Amino acid sequence: MDTFKLEILTPNGEIYNGDAVSVVLPGKEGEFGVLSGHASLTTLLEAGVVDIEKEDKSVESIVVNWGVVQVDEEKVVILVEGAAAIRGETESEIAKALEEAKELINEIADASPAIATVSARIESAAQRLI
Amino acid sequence: MANLKDIQRQIKSVSNTQKTTRAMKLVSTAKLRRAEELAKRSRLYAQKMNQVIAEIAGRIECSKIGGLENRCFTEIENPKMVDIIFVTADKGLCGGFNIQTIKAVNKLLKEYKEKNVKVRLRGIGKKGIEYFKYNEVEMFDTVRNLSSKPDKTKSDEFIITSFEDYKEGKIDSIHIVYNGYKNMITQELHVNKILPVDVTNFDCEKIQSKSMMEVEAEDEEKMLDSLVEKYINYNMYYSLIDSVAAEHSARMQAMDTATNNAKEMVKNLNVQYNKARQAAITTELIEIISGVESMK
Repeated sequence: MDTFKLEILTPNGEIYNGDAVSVVLPGKEGEFGVLSGHASLTTLLEAGVVDIEKEDKSVESIVVNWGVVQVDEEKVVILVEGAAAIRGETESEIAKALEEAKELINEIADASPAIATVSARIESAAQRLI
Repeated sequence: MANLKDIQRQIKSVSNTQKTTRAMKLVSTAKLRRAEELAKRSRLYAQKMNQVIAEIAGRIECSKIGGLENRCFTEIENPKMVDIIFVTADKGLCGGFNIQTIKAVNKLLKEYKEKNVKVRLRGIGKKGIEYFKYNEVEMFDTVRNLSSKPDKTKSDEFIITSFEDYKEGKIDSIHIVYNGYKNMITQELHVNKILPVDVTNFDCEKIQSKSMMEVEAEDEEKMLDSLVEKYINYNMYYSLIDSVAAEHSARMQAMDTATNNAKEMVKNLNVQYNKARQAAITTELIEIISGVESMK
């Protein structure tokens, strides 16, 4: 399967940098997926979950609160204001990541209708890992 | 030759100063490590952000997508009023760190004066503010205690005034002048024109070879606005954290030099002290000998 380079940057450093098979992004006008070879595109992201499918078919979820994404044929760069990755080896680590992600989402007061759906998706992402 | 007590007093005072400067150096080193870490982590983000903005600006300039006109991306001819924001430290004792920024601001002021452009000077950091106040240069507003402790909310509040005025057309350009961190021993002066976004270096050919950029049609104005807002907010904040890192590295270096100078001075004073002591002993001996001689 073709892969592309994916970079997710926050003001506090890189949160993801590596190859991905596909990525699903919470765009301003709805969710959209990107595969390798996607046409160039620049758009804004809303608060939501970024799902990254990696080469080994595992899916990693990263919660973001705002962002801008720049897609071109060979790579995708996502700049986000705040992000929390839901990952971890043990159950307690996952729980901690989950807590962080929820905190991040709760900080955005004005996107309230979206919060419920996002929270639900975070939960399910964590469930998958456990 | 100065008497012994005076020299002794001087040696003591110099070595006390040396203790202070050494302590300050250690404090700066510790602070630098933290500030440097922060600046380094944000650097990548800031660079990418600027790249994205530059690319959008370039594409707008080159292809005029959908007749998109935005004040932030078009070079304004004959500017009437510009904003200059400078960032200096709140404290001194850091070598030429502040003065370099001030010099750059002065140069910019002069350039604009020659072109008959009004300048609105906005200051961050006590040292710069004090300088311009003393020289009776008018400042639009000033903020203290922000450059030593960068705070995202405060920096957003500060820059928003300029951005709003820019959008309304009150000002035609925004510059940020600050001294940034390059490595442990060098600082790099930045004079950044953040608005309008510079498109002069943009290569249109390169873009055309790539596929077209798609901009969501519905509210592209809004999208660009919010993007530009993030861009300048982040630029302001990044200037602050970069400046803090540079300040600490400059202070560390200045204090290191001061410590070394003090060491040198103590060494010289010690030589002087020994000479004076020897001289005193010699005089005493001569006195005794001549006393004995005269008694014979």
